[in-house]
Amino acid sequence: MDIVKGYEKEFEELVEIYEKNTNDKSLRSPGVATIIVSGNKVVGLNSVKGMHIKSKERADGLVMIDVEIEDNTIIPIPVHLCTGFLKKRGEQILKFNYIIGSNVKVKFKSHCILTKVEKLHHYMESDMYIGKNSFVTYEDEHFHDEGGGVFVETITRMKIDEGSFFSSKFYETKTRVGRINVVMDIELLKDAKADLESKIYGREDDIIDIKEVLRLNGENSSGIAKSTVFATDRTNAHVVNEAYGNAPYARGHIECNEIVKGNSVEVSTLPLLKVMNDKAELTHEASVGRINQVQLETLMAKGLTEEEAAEFIVNGLLS
Amino acid sequence: MLELRDIKYSKGDNEIIKGINMKFEEGNVYCIIGNNGVGKSTIGYIIMGLSDYRPSQGNIFLDGKDITELSLTERAKSGISLLWQEPARFDGITVENYLKLNRDMKKEEIEETLKLVNLEPSRYMRRYVDKKLSGGERKKVELASCILLKPKYVIMDEPDSGIDIMSLDMIVKVINHFKKMGSAVIVITHRKEIAINCGYSYLICAGKVFLDGESKKIVSYYEKTCDNCGHVNYLEEE
Ligand SMILES: Nc1ncnc2c1ncn2[C@@H]1O[C@H](COP(=O)(O)OP(=O)(O)OP(=O)(O)O)[C@@H](O)[C@H]1O
Ligand SMILES: [Mg+2]
Repeated sequence: MDIVKGYEKEFEELVEIYEKNTNDKSLRSPGVATIIVSGNKVVGLNSVKGMHIKSKERADGLVMIDVEIEDNTIIPIPVHLCTGFLKKRGEQILKFNYIIGSNVKVKFKSHCILTKVEKLHHYMESDMYIGKNSFVTYEDEHFHDEGGGVFVETITRMKIDEGSFFSSKFYETKTRVGRINVVMDIELLKDAKADLESKIYGREDDIIDIKEVLRLNGENSSGIAKSTVFATDRTNAHVVNEAYGNAPYARGHIECNEIVKGNSVEVSTLPLLKVMNDKAELTHEASVGRINQVQLETLMAKGLTEEEAAEFIVNGLLS
Repeated sequence: MLELRDIKYSKGDNEIIKGINMKFEEGNVYCIIGNNGVGKSTIGYIIMGLSDYRPSQGNIFLDGKDITELSLTERAKSGISLLWQEPARFDGITVENYLKLNRDMKKEEIEETLKLVNLEPSRYMRRYVDKKLSGGERKKVELASCILLKPKYVIMDEPDSGIDIMSLDMIVKVINHFKKMGSAVIVITHRKEIAINCGYSYLICAGKVFLDGESKKIVSYYEKTCDNCGHVNYLEEE
Protein backbone atom coordinates (compact mmCIF):
# COMPACT_ATOMS: atom_id res chain seq x y z
CA MET A 1 0.00 0.00 0.00
CA ASP A 2 1.35 3.42 -0.95
CA ILE A 3 0.33 5.89 1.69
CA VAL A 4 1.07 9.45 0.68
CA LYS A 5 3.63 11.11 2.96
CA GLY A 6 2.12 13.51 5.43
CA TYR A 7 -1.31 11.84 5.20
CA GLU A 8 -0.64 8.81 7.40
CA LYS A 9 -2.91 10.14 10.14
CA GLU A 10 -5.87 10.74 7.84
CA PHE A 11 -5.38 7.30 6.33
CA GLU A 12 -5.39 5.70 9.79
CA GLU A 13 -8.45 7.62 10.87
CA LEU A 14 -10.51 6.62 7.80
CA VAL A 15 -9.48 3.00 8.02
CA GLU A 16 -10.40 2.93 11.69
CA ILE A 17 -13.88 4.38 11.09
CA TYR A 18 -14.40 1.89 8.30
CA GLU A 19 -13.30 -1.05 10.43
CA LYS A 20 -15.50 0.04 13.29
CA ASN A 21 -18.58 0.32 11.06
CA THR A 22 -18.12 -2.87 9.10
CA ASN A 23 -15.93 -5.25 11.10
CA ASP A 24 -13.96 -5.69 7.88
CA LYS A 25 -10.21 -5.65 8.48
CA SER A 26 -9.06 -6.22 4.91
CA LEU A 27 -8.21 -2.62 3.97
CA ARG A 28 -4.59 -2.81 5.11
CA SER A 29 -3.87 -6.14 3.53
CA PRO A 30 -1.32 -5.97 0.69
CA GLY A 31 -3.30 -8.40 -1.44
CA VAL A 32 -6.31 -6.08 -1.55
CA ALA A 33 -6.59 -3.41 -4.23
CA THR A 34 -7.61 -0.12 -2.61
CA ILE A 35 -8.16 3.50 -3.43
CA ILE A 36 -8.48 5.75 -0.42
CA VAL A 37 -9.49 9.35 -0.82
CA SER A 38 -9.65 11.84 2.01
CA GLY A 39 -11.19 15.17 1.14
CA ASN A 40 -9.57 16.30 -2.07
CA LYS A 41 -6.52 14.11 -1.72
CA VAL A 42 -5.81 10.52 -2.70
CA VAL A 43 -4.07 9.30 0.45
CA GLY A 44 -3.63 5.61 -0.28
CA LEU A 45 -3.39 3.47 -3.40
CA ASN A 46 -2.78 -0.21 -3.82
CA SER A 47 -3.01 -2.03 -7.08
CA VAL A 48 -2.96 -5.70 -7.96
CA LYS A 49 -1.84 -7.58 -11.06
CA GLY A 50 -3.82 -6.67 -14.18
CA MET A 51 -5.19 -3.49 -12.67
CA HIS A 52 -3.90 0.04 -13.18
CA ILE A 53 -4.93 3.02 -11.12
CA LYS A 54 -4.00 6.61 -11.91
CA SER A 55 -5.03 9.63 -9.93
CA LYS A 56 -4.81 13.35 -10.41
CA GLU A 57 -5.76 16.17 -8.09
CA ARG A 58 -6.54 19.47 -9.71
CA ALA A 59 -5.91 22.81 -8.12
CA ASP A 60 -9.65 23.53 -8.02
CA GLY A 61 -10.15 20.48 -5.81
CA LEU A 62 -11.41 17.97 -8.38
CA VAL A 63 -10.00 14.48 -7.87
CA MET A 64 -9.81 12.32 -10.98
CA ILE A 65 -9.21 8.61 -10.77
CA ASP A 66 -8.75 6.27 -13.72
CA VAL A 67 -9.10 2.56 -13.17
CA GLU A 68 -8.20 0.16 -15.91
CA ILE A 69 -8.44 -3.59 -15.74
CA GLU A 70 -6.75 -5.67 -18.42
CA ASP A 71 -8.54 -8.37 -20.40
CA ASN A 72 -8.74 -11.80 -18.75
CA THR A 73 -8.04 -10.49 -15.26
CA ILE A 74 -9.69 -12.18 -12.35
CA ILE A 75 -9.41 -10.30 -9.08
CA PRO A 76 -10.45 -12.72 -6.34
CA ILE A 77 -10.61 -10.23 -3.46
CA PRO A 78 -12.92 -7.20 -3.66
CA VAL A 79 -11.40 -3.89 -4.73
CA HIS A 80 -12.05 -1.28 -2.05
CA LEU A 81 -12.91 2.31 -2.86
CA CYS A 82 -12.95 4.32 0.29
CA THR A 83 -13.89 7.96 0.12
CA GLY A 84 -14.01 9.99 3.29
CA PHE A 85 -14.11 13.51 4.53
CA LEU A 86 -12.63 14.36 7.88
CA LYS A 87 -13.07 18.12 8.03
CA LYS A 88 -16.32 19.65 9.27
CA ARG A 89 -17.43 21.45 6.11
CA GLY A 90 -16.65 21.62 2.47
CA GLU A 91 -17.03 20.00 -0.88
CA GLN A 92 -15.64 16.80 -2.31
CA ILE A 93 -15.76 16.31 -6.06
CA LEU A 94 -14.66 13.01 -7.52
CA LYS A 95 -14.55 11.81 -11.09
CA PHE A 96 -13.99 8.11 -11.68
CA ASN A 97 -13.31 6.61 -15.05
CA TYR A 98 -13.34 2.85 -15.32
CA ILE A 99 -12.31 0.82 -18.31
CA ILE A 100 -12.82 -2.84 -17.67
CA GLY A 101 -11.62 -5.34 -20.23
CA SER A 102 -13.16 -8.50 -21.55
CA ASN A 103 -13.37 -11.73 -19.55
CA VAL A 104 -12.73 -9.87 -16.34
CA LYS A 105 -14.14 -10.82 -12.99
CA VAL A 106 -14.07 -8.15 -10.32
CA LYS A 107 -16.03 -6.95 -7.33
CA PHE A 108 -15.89 -3.35 -6.14
CA LYS A 109 -16.77 -2.34 -2.61
CA SER A 110 -17.24 1.33 -2.18
CA HIS A 111 -17.69 2.99 1.18
CA CYS A 112 -18.35 6.57 1.76
CA ILE A 113 -17.32 7.66 5.22
CA LEU A 114 -18.86 10.98 6.06
CA THR A 115 -19.52 10.52 9.75
CA LYS A 116 -17.68 13.58 11.03
CA VAL A 117 -19.02 16.34 8.86
CA GLU A 118 -21.50 19.09 9.60
CA LYS A 119 -22.09 20.32 6.08
CA LEU A 120 -20.72 18.63 3.02
CA HIS A 121 -21.47 18.29 -0.65
CA HIS A 122 -20.06 15.00 -1.90
CA TYR A 123 -20.28 14.71 -5.65
CA MET A 124 -19.13 11.59 -7.45
CA GLU A 125 -19.41 11.08 -11.16
CA SER A 126 -18.44 7.74 -12.65
CA ASP A 127 -18.20 6.42 -16.15
CA MET A 128 -17.72 2.74 -16.59
CA TYR A 129 -17.23 0.64 -19.66
CA ILE A 130 -17.34 -3.12 -19.24
CA GLY A 131 -15.92 -5.24 -22.08
CA LYS A 132 -17.28 -8.55 -23.31
CA ASN A 133 -18.16 -11.55 -21.15
CA SER A 134 -17.10 -9.93 -17.93
CA PHE A 135 -18.62 -10.18 -14.49
CA VAL A 136 -18.62 -7.03 -12.40
CA THR A 137 -20.33 -6.23 -9.13
CA TYR A 138 -20.37 -2.91 -7.34
CA GLU A 139 -21.51 -2.42 -3.77
CA ASP A 140 -21.85 1.04 -2.38
CA GLU A 141 -22.38 1.59 1.29
CA HIS A 142 -22.68 4.94 2.99
CA PHE A 143 -22.02 6.09 6.53
CA HIS A 144 -23.14 9.63 7.20
CA ASP A 145 -23.28 12.04 10.08
CA GLU A 146 -26.47 11.91 12.16
CA GLY A 147 -26.97 15.69 11.90
CA GLY A 148 -28.28 15.40 8.35
CA GLY A 149 -25.82 17.90 6.84
CA VAL A 150 -24.51 15.56 4.17
CA PHE A 151 -25.56 16.02 0.55
CA VAL A 152 -24.46 13.11 -1.61
CA GLU A 153 -24.76 13.06 -5.36
CA THR A 154 -23.61 10.05 -7.32
CA ILE A 155 -24.04 10.00 -11.05
CA THR A 156 -23.07 6.81 -12.84
CA ARG A 157 -23.12 6.16 -16.57
CA MET A 158 -22.31 2.73 -17.86
CA LYS A 159 -22.01 0.73 -20.99
CA ILE A 160 -22.08 -3.03 -20.64
CA ASP A 161 -20.78 -4.87 -23.65
CA GLU A 162 -21.86 -8.22 -25.07
CA GLY A 163 -22.41 -11.10 -22.71
CA SER A 164 -21.34 -9.25 -19.58
CA PHE A 165 -23.06 -9.16 -16.22
CA PHE A 166 -23.16 -6.19 -13.90
CA SER A 167 -24.81 -5.88 -10.54
CA SER A 168 -24.92 -2.96 -8.17
CA LYS A 169 -26.17 -2.47 -4.67
CA PHE A 170 -26.52 0.98 -3.19
CA TYR A 171 -27.25 0.93 0.55
CA GLU A 172 -27.80 3.85 2.86
CA THR A 173 -29.71 2.26 5.70
CA LYS A 174 -27.52 2.45 8.78
CA THR A 175 -27.00 6.17 9.24
CA ARG A 176 -28.87 9.40 8.44
CA VAL A 177 -29.18 10.17 4.76
CA GLY A 178 -29.30 13.94 4.85
CA ARG A 179 -29.88 14.57 1.19
CA ILE A 180 -29.11 12.06 -1.50
CA ASN A 181 -29.36 12.05 -5.25
CA VAL A 182 -28.50 8.81 -7.01
CA VAL A 183 -28.54 8.50 -10.78
CA MET A 184 -27.67 5.30 -12.61
CA ASP A 185 -27.91 5.22 -16.34
CA ILE A 186 -27.00 1.95 -17.94
CA GLU A 187 -26.74 0.85 -21.53
CA LEU A 188 -26.77 -2.87 -22.24
CA LEU A 189 -25.53 -4.47 -25.43
CA LYS A 190 -26.27 -7.93 -26.80
CA ASP A 191 -26.80 -10.61 -24.13
CA ALA A 192 -25.69 -8.25 -21.38
CA LYS A 193 -27.41 -8.40 -18.00
CA ALA A 194 -27.73 -5.89 -15.20
CA ASP A 195 -29.19 -6.11 -11.73
CA LEU A 196 -29.51 -2.83 -9.83
CA GLU A 197 -30.71 -2.56 -6.29
CA SER A 198 -30.96 0.39 -3.95
CA LYS A 199 -32.17 0.51 -0.38
CA ILE A 200 -32.52 3.69 1.58
CA TYR A 201 -33.89 4.49 5.03
CA GLY A 202 -35.10 8.07 5.40
CA ARG A 203 -35.42 9.75 8.79
CA GLU A 204 -36.28 13.25 10.01
CA ASP A 205 -36.19 15.68 7.08
CA ASP A 206 -34.08 13.57 4.73
CA ILE A 207 -34.46 14.13 1.00
CA ILE A 208 -34.06 11.15 -1.30
CA ASP A 209 -33.95 11.18 -5.08
CA ILE A 210 -33.27 8.03 -7.06
CA LYS A 211 -33.23 7.63 -10.79
CA GLU A 212 -32.41 4.35 -12.46
CA VAL A 213 -32.41 3.95 -16.22
CA LEU A 214 -32.02 0.73 -18.16
CA ARG A 215 -31.32 1.10 -21.87
CA LEU A 216 -31.75 -2.35 -23.32
CA ASN A 217 -30.12 -1.70 -26.68
CA GLY A 218 -28.77 -5.14 -27.45
CA GLU A 219 -30.65 -8.23 -28.55
CA ASN A 220 -31.51 -10.48 -25.63
CA SER A 221 -30.18 -8.02 -23.07
CA SER A 222 -31.94 -7.96 -19.72
CA GLY A 223 -32.06 -5.81 -16.66
CA ILE A 224 -33.75 -5.40 -13.30
CA ALA A 225 -33.81 -2.16 -11.35
CA LYS A 226 -35.27 -2.39 -7.88
CA SER A 227 -35.52 0.33 -5.24
CA THR A 228 -36.76 0.06 -1.70
CA VAL A 229 -37.27 3.17 0.39
CA PHE A 230 -38.43 3.26 3.98
CA ALA A 231 -39.62 6.78 4.62
CA THR A 232 -40.29 7.95 8.18
CA ASP A 233 -40.76 11.30 9.96
CA ARG A 234 -40.69 14.12 7.38
CA THR A 235 -38.75 12.27 4.68
CA ASN A 236 -39.22 13.36 1.10
CA ALA A 237 -38.50 10.58 -1.39
CA HIS A 238 -38.86 10.54 -5.14
CA VAL A 239 -38.00 7.50 -7.24
CA VAL A 240 -37.89 7.38 -11.02
CA ASN A 241 -37.31 4.08 -12.81
CA GLU A 242 -37.07 3.93 -16.57
CA ALA A 243 -36.58 1.03 -18.94
CA TYR A 244 -36.22 1.22 -22.70
CA GLY A 245 -36.63 -1.95 -24.74
CA ASN A 246 -34.88 -1.13 -27.99
CA ALA A 247 -33.93 -4.56 -29.29
CA PRO A 248 -35.56 -7.91 -29.92
CA TYR A 249 -35.92 -10.16 -26.87
CA ALA A 250 -34.73 -7.45 -24.54
CA ARG A 251 -36.33 -7.90 -21.12
CA GLY A 252 -36.53 -5.32 -18.39
CA HIS A 253 -38.20 -5.17 -15.01
CA ILE A 254 -38.36 -2.15 -12.76
CA GLU A 255 -39.65 -2.25 -9.24
CA CYS A 256 -40.10 0.35 -6.58
CA ASN A 257 -41.39 -0.23 -3.07
CA GLU A 258 -41.79 2.72 -0.79
CA ILE A 259 -42.92 2.00 2.72
CA VAL A 260 -44.12 4.99 4.63
CA LYS A 261 -44.53 5.57 8.32
CA GLY A 262 -46.24 8.64 9.72
CA ASN A 263 -48.31 11.38 8.18
CA SER A 264 -45.61 13.88 7.34
CA VAL A 265 -43.68 11.95 4.72
CA GLU A 266 -43.90 12.77 1.06
CA VAL A 267 -43.07 9.97 -1.35
CA SER A 268 -43.64 9.30 -5.00
CA THR A 269 -42.62 6.84 -7.66
CA LEU A 270 -42.65 7.29 -11.39
CA PRO A 271 -42.10 4.31 -13.67
CA LEU A 272 -41.55 4.72 -17.38
CA LEU A 273 -41.48 1.84 -19.82
CA LYS A 274 -40.81 2.45 -23.47
CA VAL A 275 -40.68 -0.29 -26.07
CA MET A 276 -39.19 0.32 -29.51
CA ASN A 277 -39.19 -3.26 -30.65
CA ASP A 278 -42.21 -5.56 -30.63
CA LYS A 279 -40.15 -8.46 -29.35
CA ALA A 280 -38.96 -6.60 -26.27
CA GLU A 281 -40.77 -7.08 -22.97
CA LEU A 282 -40.85 -4.67 -20.07
CA THR A 283 -42.66 -4.93 -16.75
CA HIS A 284 -42.94 -2.87 -13.61
CA GLU A 285 -44.17 -3.22 -10.09
CA ALA A 286 -44.66 -0.40 -7.67
CA SER A 287 -46.12 0.11 -4.26
CA VAL A 288 -46.34 3.06 -1.96
CA GLY A 289 -47.96 2.66 1.41
CA ARG A 290 -47.65 1.57 4.96
CA ILE A 291 -46.33 -1.78 6.06
CA ASN A 292 -48.45 -4.67 4.86
CA GLN A 293 -51.16 -5.35 7.44
CA VAL A 294 -51.18 -9.13 6.96
CA GLN A 295 -47.42 -9.28 7.51
CA LEU A 296 -47.79 -7.19 10.66
CA GLU A 297 -50.57 -9.36 12.05
CA THR A 298 -48.70 -12.54 11.19
CA LEU A 299 -45.89 -11.43 13.49
CA MET A 300 -48.17 -9.95 16.14
CA ALA A 301 -49.92 -13.33 16.28
CA LYS A 302 -46.54 -14.65 17.42
CA GLY A 303 -46.37 -12.18 20.30
CA LEU A 304 -44.52 -9.20 18.79
CA THR A 305 -45.94 -5.75 19.41
CA GLU A 306 -46.90 -3.71 16.36
CA GLU A 307 -43.66 -1.69 16.68
CA GLU A 308 -41.51 -4.79 16.97
CA ALA A 309 -43.25 -6.42 14.04
CA ALA A 310 -42.77 -3.31 11.87
CA GLU A 311 -39.09 -3.17 12.74
CA PHE A 312 -38.66 -6.87 11.95
CA ILE A 313 -40.29 -6.45 8.54
CA VAL A 314 -38.36 -3.30 7.63
CA ASN A 315 -35.04 -4.84 8.70
CA GLY A 316 -35.73 -7.63 6.25
CA LEU A 317 -36.65 -5.27 3.44
CA LEU A 318 -33.55 -3.16 3.94
CA SER A 319 -31.06 -5.95 4.67
CA MET B 1 -59.75 -23.99 28.94
CA LEU B 2 -60.64 -21.75 25.99
CA GLU B 3 -64.30 -21.08 25.54
CA LEU B 4 -66.38 -19.25 22.93
CA ARG B 5 -69.77 -18.12 24.20
CA ASP B 6 -72.46 -17.11 21.76
CA ILE B 7 -70.05 -15.51 19.28
CA LYS B 8 -71.46 -13.59 16.34
CA TYR B 9 -69.48 -11.86 13.66
CA SER B 10 -70.52 -9.80 10.65
CA LYS B 11 -68.73 -8.31 7.72
CA GLY B 12 -70.80 -5.39 6.49
CA ASP B 13 -74.40 -6.62 6.26
CA ASN B 14 -73.29 -10.20 5.99
CA GLU B 15 -73.49 -12.19 9.23
CA ILE B 16 -70.81 -14.82 8.81
CA ILE B 17 -70.80 -16.34 12.29
CA LYS B 18 -74.25 -16.67 13.75
CA GLY B 19 -73.85 -17.46 17.40
CA ILE B 20 -71.47 -20.28 18.21
CA ASN B 21 -70.37 -21.98 21.42
CA MET B 22 -67.19 -24.04 21.66
CA LYS B 23 -64.90 -25.37 24.36
CA PHE B 24 -61.27 -26.43 24.06
CA GLU B 25 -59.25 -28.06 26.79
CA GLU B 26 -55.49 -28.33 26.96
CA GLY B 27 -54.03 -31.70 25.95
CA ASN B 28 -56.90 -32.50 23.57
CA VAL B 29 -57.23 -32.39 19.80
CA TYR B 30 -60.29 -30.77 18.23
CA CYS B 31 -61.50 -30.55 14.69
CA ILE B 32 -63.52 -27.84 13.02
CA ILE B 33 -64.92 -29.40 9.89
CA GLY B 34 -67.18 -28.07 7.17
CA ASN B 35 -67.49 -27.22 3.51
CA ASN B 36 -65.84 -24.25 1.77
CA GLY B 37 -67.04 -20.87 2.92
CA VAL B 38 -68.99 -21.95 6.02
CA GLY B 39 -66.85 -19.79 8.32
CA LYS B 40 -64.09 -22.07 9.61
CA SER B 41 -61.16 -19.69 9.04
CA THR B 42 -63.28 -16.86 10.42
CA ILE B 43 -63.68 -18.74 13.70
CA GLY B 44 -59.90 -19.21 13.83
CA TYR B 45 -59.29 -15.49 13.24
CA ILE B 46 -61.82 -14.51 15.89
CA ILE B 47 -60.10 -16.72 18.46
CA MET B 48 -56.68 -15.35 17.49
CA GLY B 49 -58.01 -11.79 17.65
CA LEU B 50 -57.05 -10.41 14.23
CA SER B 51 -57.90 -6.74 13.92
CA ASP B 52 -60.79 -7.15 11.46
CA TYR B 53 -62.31 -10.00 13.45
CA ARG B 54 -63.80 -8.46 16.57
CA PRO B 55 -67.01 -10.34 17.36
CA SER B 56 -70.19 -8.27 17.22
CA GLN B 57 -71.58 -10.27 20.09
CA GLY B 58 -70.42 -12.85 22.63
CA ASN B 59 -67.30 -13.47 24.65
CA ILE B 60 -64.14 -15.50 24.63
CA PHE B 61 -62.80 -16.88 27.89
CA LEU B 62 -59.34 -18.19 28.62
CA ASP B 63 -59.14 -20.11 31.90
CA GLY B 64 -62.20 -18.23 33.08
CA LYS B 65 -60.83 -14.80 32.15
CA ASP B 66 -62.65 -12.77 29.51
CA ILE B 67 -60.14 -12.10 26.71
CA THR B 68 -62.60 -10.69 24.16
CA GLU B 69 -61.02 -7.25 24.43
CA LEU B 70 -57.39 -8.46 24.45
CA SER B 71 -55.23 -7.42 21.52
CA LEU B 72 -53.67 -9.81 19.06
CA THR B 73 -50.25 -9.48 20.70
CA GLU B 74 -51.69 -10.06 24.17
CA ARG B 75 -53.56 -13.16 23.04
CA ALA B 76 -50.40 -14.53 21.46
CA LYS B 77 -48.53 -13.86 24.69
CA SER B 78 -51.20 -15.68 26.66
CA GLY B 79 -50.51 -18.79 24.59
CA ILE B 80 -52.80 -18.73 21.54
CA SER B 81 -51.22 -19.36 18.18
CA LEU B 82 -52.42 -19.64 14.58
CA LEU B 83 -51.15 -21.66 11.65
CA TRP B 84 -52.39 -19.58 8.71
CA GLN B 85 -54.15 -21.21 5.82
CA GLU B 86 -52.03 -19.05 3.46
CA PRO B 87 -49.06 -17.68 5.40
CA ALA B 88 -47.68 -14.27 4.38
CA ARG B 89 -44.33 -13.85 2.64
CA PHE B 90 -41.44 -11.71 3.88
CA ASP B 91 -38.64 -10.31 1.74
CA GLY B 92 -35.13 -10.42 3.14
CA ILE B 93 -35.94 -12.57 6.19
CA THR B 94 -34.28 -15.95 6.39
CA VAL B 95 -36.08 -19.05 7.60
CA GLU B 96 -33.67 -19.10 10.53
CA ASN B 97 -34.46 -15.52 11.60
CA TYR B 98 -38.16 -15.99 10.98
CA LEU B 99 -38.21 -18.97 13.31
CA LYS B 100 -35.99 -17.26 15.86
CA LEU B 101 -38.10 -14.10 15.87
CA ASN B 102 -35.81 -11.92 18.01
CA ARG B 103 -35.65 -14.58 20.69
CA ASP B 104 -32.57 -16.27 22.10
CA MET B 105 -32.77 -19.71 20.67
CA LYS B 106 -30.32 -22.52 20.12
CA LYS B 107 -29.61 -23.31 16.50
CA GLU B 108 -30.09 -27.00 17.30
CA GLU B 109 -33.64 -26.39 18.46
CA ILE B 110 -34.48 -24.68 15.16
CA GLU B 111 -32.85 -27.48 13.19
CA GLU B 112 -34.69 -30.16 15.12
CA THR B 113 -37.99 -28.42 14.46
CA LEU B 114 -37.30 -28.12 10.74
CA LYS B 115 -36.60 -31.86 10.64
CA LEU B 116 -39.89 -32.49 12.41
CA VAL B 117 -41.74 -30.76 9.54
CA ASN B 118 -39.71 -32.59 6.88
CA LEU B 119 -37.48 -29.68 5.87
CA GLU B 120 -33.77 -30.41 5.64
CA PRO B 121 -32.13 -27.70 7.83
CA SER B 122 -29.00 -27.30 5.69
CA ARG B 123 -31.15 -26.57 2.65
CA TYR B 124 -33.63 -24.22 4.30
CA MET B 125 -32.06 -22.25 7.16
CA ARG B 126 -30.59 -19.60 4.82
CA ARG B 127 -33.51 -19.45 2.38
CA TYR B 128 -35.77 -16.43 2.52
CA VAL B 129 -39.41 -16.63 3.62
CA ASP B 130 -40.33 -14.82 0.39
CA LYS B 131 -42.21 -15.61 -2.81
CA LYS B 132 -39.53 -18.06 -3.88
CA LEU B 133 -40.57 -20.69 -1.36
CA SER B 134 -43.21 -23.03 -2.74
CA GLY B 135 -46.63 -23.04 -1.08
CA GLY B 136 -45.92 -26.32 0.68
CA GLU B 137 -42.47 -25.22 1.86
CA ARG B 138 -43.90 -21.98 3.21
CA LYS B 139 -46.60 -23.87 5.06
CA LYS B 140 -44.04 -26.19 6.63
CA VAL B 141 -41.95 -23.22 7.78
CA GLU B 142 -45.09 -21.78 9.40
CA LEU B 143 -45.75 -25.09 11.08
CA ALA B 144 -42.19 -25.02 12.47
CA SER B 145 -42.78 -21.46 13.67
CA CYS B 146 -45.92 -22.53 15.54
CA ILE B 147 -44.12 -25.44 17.16
CA LEU B 148 -41.33 -23.16 18.40
CA LEU B 149 -43.87 -20.81 20.00
CA LYS B 150 -44.93 -23.68 22.28
CA PRO B 151 -48.55 -22.48 22.38
CA LYS B 152 -51.14 -23.63 24.89
CA TYR B 153 -53.79 -23.37 22.18
CA VAL B 154 -52.88 -23.82 18.54
CA ILE B 155 -55.31 -23.23 15.70
CA MET B 156 -54.19 -25.06 12.58
CA ASP B 157 -56.08 -23.75 9.57
CA GLU B 158 -56.01 -26.41 6.86
CA PRO B 159 -52.61 -27.75 7.91
CA ASP B 160 -52.56 -30.10 4.93
CA SER B 161 -53.44 -27.61 2.19
CA GLY B 162 -50.60 -27.22 -0.28
CA ILE B 163 -48.76 -30.09 1.31
CA ASP B 164 -48.15 -33.35 -0.54
CA ILE B 165 -49.81 -36.62 0.50
CA MET B 166 -46.40 -37.87 1.63
CA SER B 167 -46.43 -35.23 4.35
CA LEU B 168 -49.85 -36.08 5.75
CA ASP B 169 -48.13 -38.39 8.23
CA MET B 170 -45.92 -35.48 9.24
CA ILE B 171 -48.99 -33.37 10.05
CA VAL B 172 -50.39 -36.12 12.23
CA LYS B 173 -46.98 -36.36 13.91
CA VAL B 174 -46.97 -32.60 14.58
CA ILE B 175 -50.50 -32.73 16.00
CA ASN B 176 -49.37 -35.48 18.35
CA HIS B 177 -46.28 -33.44 19.24
CA PHE B 178 -48.51 -30.56 20.35
CA LYS B 179 -50.73 -32.95 22.26
CA LYS B 180 -47.74 -34.41 24.08
CA MET B 181 -46.65 -30.87 24.97
CA GLY B 182 -50.03 -30.48 26.61
CA SER B 183 -51.42 -28.02 24.05
CA ALA B 184 -54.99 -27.91 22.87
CA VAL B 185 -54.95 -28.41 19.10
CA ILE B 186 -57.77 -26.98 17.01
CA VAL B 187 -57.55 -28.39 13.51
CA ILE B 188 -59.56 -26.78 10.73
CA THR B 189 -59.93 -29.15 7.81
CA HIS B 190 -62.18 -30.88 5.35
CA ARG B 191 -59.94 -33.87 5.03
CA LYS B 192 -61.27 -36.92 6.84
CA GLU B 193 -57.80 -38.53 7.23
CA ILE B 194 -56.88 -35.60 9.43
CA ALA B 195 -60.23 -35.20 11.15
CA ILE B 196 -60.36 -38.84 12.16
CA ASN B 197 -57.19 -38.30 14.23
CA CYS B 198 -58.88 -35.66 16.34
CA GLY B 199 -60.78 -36.37 19.51
CA TYR B 200 -63.74 -34.03 19.33
CA SER B 201 -65.24 -32.35 16.28
CA TYR B 202 -67.42 -29.35 15.50
CA LEU B 203 -69.24 -29.53 12.20
CA ILE B 204 -69.85 -26.03 10.91
CA CYS B 205 -72.58 -25.13 8.47
CA ALA B 206 -73.60 -21.59 7.51
CA GLY B 207 -71.76 -19.97 10.40
CA LYS B 208 -73.25 -22.23 13.05
CA VAL B 209 -72.18 -25.35 14.89
CA PHE B 210 -74.45 -27.86 13.20
CA LEU B 211 -73.28 -30.93 15.08
CA ASP B 212 -70.56 -31.66 17.60
CA GLY B 213 -69.27 -34.74 19.30
CA GLU B 214 -66.76 -37.54 19.03
CA SER B 215 -64.78 -37.11 15.79
CA LYS B 216 -65.54 -40.56 14.32
CA LYS B 217 -69.25 -39.92 14.54
CA ILE B 218 -69.07 -36.38 13.16
CA VAL B 219 -66.75 -37.35 10.31
CA SER B 220 -68.96 -40.20 9.20
CA TYR B 221 -71.98 -37.88 9.25
CA TYR B 222 -69.99 -35.27 7.31
CA GLU B 223 -68.95 -37.83 4.71
CA LYS B 224 -72.45 -39.10 4.21
CA THR B 225 -74.32 -35.80 4.26
CA CYS B 226 -72.09 -32.79 3.65
CA ASP B 227 -69.55 -34.16 1.20
CA ASN B 228 -72.03 -34.10 -1.64
CA CYS B 229 -74.28 -31.40 -0.25
CA GLY B 230 -72.15 -28.50 -1.37
CA HIS B 231 -74.38 -25.72 -0.11
CA VAL B 232 -73.52 -23.57 2.84
CA ASN B 233 -76.99 -22.35 3.74
CA TYR B 234 -78.42 -25.59 5.03
CA LEU B 235 -79.90 -23.99 8.12
CA GLU B 236 -81.66 -21.20 6.26
CA GLU B 237 -83.12 -23.64 3.77
CA GLU B 238 -84.48 -25.83 6.52
N1 LIG C 1 -63.93 -9.72 3.36
C1 LIG C 1 -65.08 -10.40 3.25
N2 LIG C 1 -66.20 -9.78 2.89
C2 LIG C 1 -67.36 -10.45 2.77
N3 LIG C 1 -67.48 -11.77 3.01
C3 LIG C 1 -66.38 -12.44 3.38
C4 LIG C 1 -65.11 -11.80 3.52
N4 LIG C 1 -64.21 -12.70 3.90
C5 LIG C 1 -64.87 -13.88 3.99
N5 LIG C 1 -66.16 -13.72 3.66
C6 LIG C 1 -67.17 -14.76 3.61
O1 LIG C 1 -67.27 -15.37 4.88
C7 LIG C 1 -67.58 -16.75 4.73
C8 LIG C 1 -66.65 -17.55 5.60
O2 LIG C 1 -65.33 -17.47 5.12
P1 LIG C 1 -64.19 -18.38 5.71
O3 LIG C 1 -62.93 -17.98 5.06
O4 LIG C 1 -64.25 -18.34 7.17
O5 LIG C 1 -64.63 -19.82 5.19
P2 LIG C 1 -63.94 -21.24 5.38
O6 LIG C 1 -64.92 -22.12 6.02
O7 LIG C 1 -62.64 -21.07 6.05
O8 LIG C 1 -63.74 -21.69 3.89
P3 LIG C 1 -62.55 -22.54 3.18
O9 LIG C 1 -62.86 -23.98 3.44
O10 LIG C 1 -62.72 -22.23 1.73
O11 LIG C 1 -61.27 -22.07 3.74
C9 LIG C 1 -67.47 -17.06 3.25
O12 LIG C 1 -68.76 -17.21 2.74
C10 LIG C 1 -66.80 -15.88 2.67
O13 LIG C 1 -67.24 -15.62 1.35
MG1 LIG D 1 -60.63 -21.29 5.42
